[in-house]
Amino acid sequence: MPSTRHGHDTTEMGGVGSTVQRHDDHALLTGRATYVDDVEPSGVLHVAMLRSPVAHAKILGVDARAALELPGVHAVLTGDDVAAMATVQPVGWEHIDDQRPSPTYAMAIDRVRYVGQIVAAVAADSRALAEDATELIEVDYDPIAAVMSIDDALSPDTPPLVPGWDDNIFGSQTYTTGDPDDAFAEADIHLTEELTIGRQFGCPLEGRGIVADWDLGTGRLEVWANSQSPNRLREVIAEVLDLAVADVRVRVPTIGGGFGSKANYYGEEILCCALSRRAGRPVKYIEDRRESFFGTSHAREQRIKVELAATRDGQITGLRGHVIGVLGGEISSVGMGPVWLSAVSMPGPYRIPNVSLSVTGVMTNRTPYGSYRGWGTPKAAFAMERMVERLAMEIGVDSVDIRRRNFVKTSELPYHNGIFATLDSGDFHLALETCVEVAAQNGWPERRVSAQGEGRRIGIGYASFVEATGIGPSRVMSELGIGQGGFDEAVVRMDSTGRVTVYTGQAEMGQGMSTTLAQLAAEELNIPESAIRVVSGDTDACPYTGYGTGGSRAIAVGGVAVAQAARELREKLLEIASHQLETSADDLQVQGDRIEVRGAPDLGVTLREVAHAAYRRLTKIDHATEPTLQGRSVYDPTSLTYANGCAAALVEIDDGTGAVSVIGYIIVDDCGTVVNPQIVDGQLHGATTQAIGGALLEQLVYDDEGQLLTTTFMDYLLPTAMDTPRFLTEHLEFPAPNTPGGMKGVGEAGTIPAAPAIAAAVEDALGGDRFLVRSLPIRSEDVHTWLRESAQPDAAT
Amino acid sequence: MNEQLRTIEFELNGRPTTMSAPVRETLADALRHRCHEKGVHLGCEHGVCGACTVEIDGRTVRSCLLLAPQAEGHSVVTVGGISGPDDELSPLQAEFSRQHALQCGFCTPGFLMVARELLDEGDLLTEDLVRERISGNICRCTGYHNIVEAILVAAEERGMRVERTENEEAK
Repeated sequence: MPSTRHGHDTTEMGGVGSTVQRHDDHALLTGRATYVDDVEPSGVLHVAMLRSPVAHAKILGVDARAALELPGVHAVLTGDDVAAMATVQPVGWEHIDDQRPSPTYAMAIDRVRYVGQIVAAVAADSRALAEDATELIEVDYDPIAAVMSIDDALSPDTPPLVPGWDDNIFGSQTYTTGDPDDAFAEADIHLTEELTIGRQFGCPLEGRGIVADWDLGTGRLEVWANSQSPNRLREVIAEVLDLAVADVRVRVPTIGGGFGSKANYYGEEILCCALSRRAGRPVKYIEDRRESFFGTSHAREQRIKVELAATRDGQITGLRGHVIGVLGGEISSVGMGPVWLSAVSMPGPYRIPNVSLSVTGVMTNRTPYGSYRGWGTPKAAFAMERMVERLAMEIGVDSVDIRRRNFVKTSELPYHNGIFATLDSGDFHLALETCVEVAAQNGWPERRVSAQGEGRRIGIGYASFVEATGIGPSRVMSELGIGQGGFDEAVVRMDSTGRVTVYTGQAEMGQGMSTTLAQLAAEELNIPESAIRVVSGDTDACPYTGYGTGGSRAIAVGGVAVAQAARELREKLLEIASHQLETSADDLQVQGDRIEVRGAPDLGVTLREVAHAAYRRLTKIDHATEPTLQGRSVYDPTSLTYANGCAAALVEIDDGTGAVSVIGYIIVDDCGTVVNPQIVDGQLHGATTQAIGGALLEQLVYDDEGQLLTTTFMDYLLPTAMDTPRFLTEHLEFPAPNTPGGMKGVGEAGTIPAAPAIAAAVEDALGGDRFLVRSLPIRSEDVHTWLRESAQPDAAT
Repeated sequence: MNEQLRTIEFELNGRPTTMSAPVRETLADALRHRCHEKGVHLGCEHGVCGACTVEIDGRTVRSCLLLAPQAEGHSVVTVGGISGPDDELSPLQAEFSRQHALQCGFCTPGFLMVARELLDEGDLLTEDLVRERISGNICRCTGYHNIVEAILVAAEERGMRVERTENEEAK
């Protein structure tokens, strides 16, 4: 496998390429970690939200007097209060040309547009009391028919959900390259499919939570929130409540999973700040599990019409797609970003000269649509890989041959696909071949054959993917209308005793960010990573991250800033040691806890001595040297960088029930330079498992009246240990060419190829001669029907 | 507000403990708020996710499905009671760290309690059995692969016989 490692091998220090004990593990394993519900300032009140029981209605009045009079209730907010004190919730992504301004406030004011939308908020002595108080609030709803289907939403007979809009389209755009009309007119083969992806969400095991303390004495608003983007949250709160950013502090405790859900901004955050001000006390809101289904960003749901033009020997000449994203009744803080990404990402790793991709975001009476790991890429890969399978079946070849034929070659890189992606690195052929080889080494083809002999149904399916990571160059983002930078600032500081601390704006949510940033600093400094502390999650103390933790950028952007800051610190250390040792800095190196002369390690000074000199014994540094020891860097990437890979699924179908079991799974992933292989595998395992859930188990279901039917874990099924196999992973390392250190992102990769690989495997298990899977999740009742319809259950390709 | 409080005497992590809690409070909430056992986590409060798992009289239970007064007279062990006297990690906890069997840690206390129980049960552990026995605990981060491996390795370290299945057959 090709791989490059920059700099010296510092595995003894736990630098790049090492598996090390994670910094957070001790606290997590002993139950000592502080999550947001463990933050309990003195005098804290508890918040309950009154949520709409109807999907669509005018609010004619809200009477909260009885709630206010209940002993133990300290503050109540209704829509009128919020209208007076808050602006519209900001939308960070405004990149669709005709995207409408968001109508969304922290609380419903004169209308509700989804079940669970907040209508009032109460702060009381206890959560139970606050909930009792919400039941005393009278809301006069004037119901309006719920708009639930795409076709209804788009119908000219349906009144717009948002008063003042002409229709229910939030935004719409088309991207074109080449001459698709011509390509389709000329094509030997023209295939059309309509695919549906079910509504799903990140569903971290820990719900959202916030503690807000608006101190009227100091005028400062102190917030604890399990947010993936603390400095952006700070700015949003300041903007919405008309405060100076400097008067808001956001701290982040341990986060129990984020997956993008906690990267969006929510009304609850604003409401808690406002309640705290009104009550004159700190308040805490913890979303319970039922609320999470209504209140946390939904994702994935789309209808995709996709067309492929190809020659009869399987060369793809044209791609057309129209993605319709099923937005909710309000706009999330990312607008229709994930829907947009799924449209523009559709070409994937393929060379397709003629492409037209449209995207439309449609309002319906559902919970707002926001971020979830993978964002748009899983749906893009589902659409493209399904069409690759469709084409393979049409021609009668193995789909891996279609991939081989149409992949962009390494010799063509960098390859701009004319739509959005500039594929910069990777070998898509190698990823596919590696995947096929691993499947062969593990006897998958033989298992398939022997299963048939036993009357069992086992199938194999593949899927390839590319993924934009390391979001992103600030100028490009600004030009796109994204209201945030894409840079990261980092500080690496040595204290007066010689110990190093990394300060980052990134958020640790279990993905191992703290550990891997320490490893990057260790690599630069050549000191043990276990001696490096990483501080994050405090907007008063930590640097600024343009985009927070998401978009697979913690290492590819945040990590580069840390490495560069560490390098600056190292130079400073060598400068002081050079003065003390009267030797040129070029002849010195840091080695563990000392700085030594190269080739004469006995000649040196300890880091402790250097630090002491820089802070406390200034006669031991040159008079021109500045006291203190710190490196600071701001890194703004010059481009996105493309992770990529290939996955294979081995599934077995139960003949009686149609239940699909994933009994084997391989993922080959190129995330550039691997900082910590064990953490990379952990990300691949976890993301794949979420995608298995999305392929087979998870769906947020609404009825025709907009009632959400899936509000417990008995309805919304998350994968358990019996739903997942052992994972086989292979790492390819094609360094990101424009990223110092060569790292690409990996947090989201696993979500991308799993559903199409499983879909192909299911079809393979059913004979491989029928294109069946057009929607997710794949339901066992549908598989059961396909089994019964199968004319020749034993046929195999 | 007239909440009826009950004084509850029980053993918590080996120490005689008294707490006062409303009779309708769940054991999970009481352990968290009255006894400061913040390692007991609430992931669903309807008995599915297992993040609240504790051990009562040697058997694992979901503390979100019990009421605080039900602890009276019983011996309760939480994740806060399974490390050593100087907070050293137990061999099982250390193996979880070594195998990267935790990411965000929110589900981890529940898995540790269930794994402990499993490791005390016999001298043979198969991967199938491990997966079945931990299927009542949900993890959204790890994909279970490393959790299963950590439990199997911990079993081997204790001298148990272990059978792994790579890419096992469908159950």
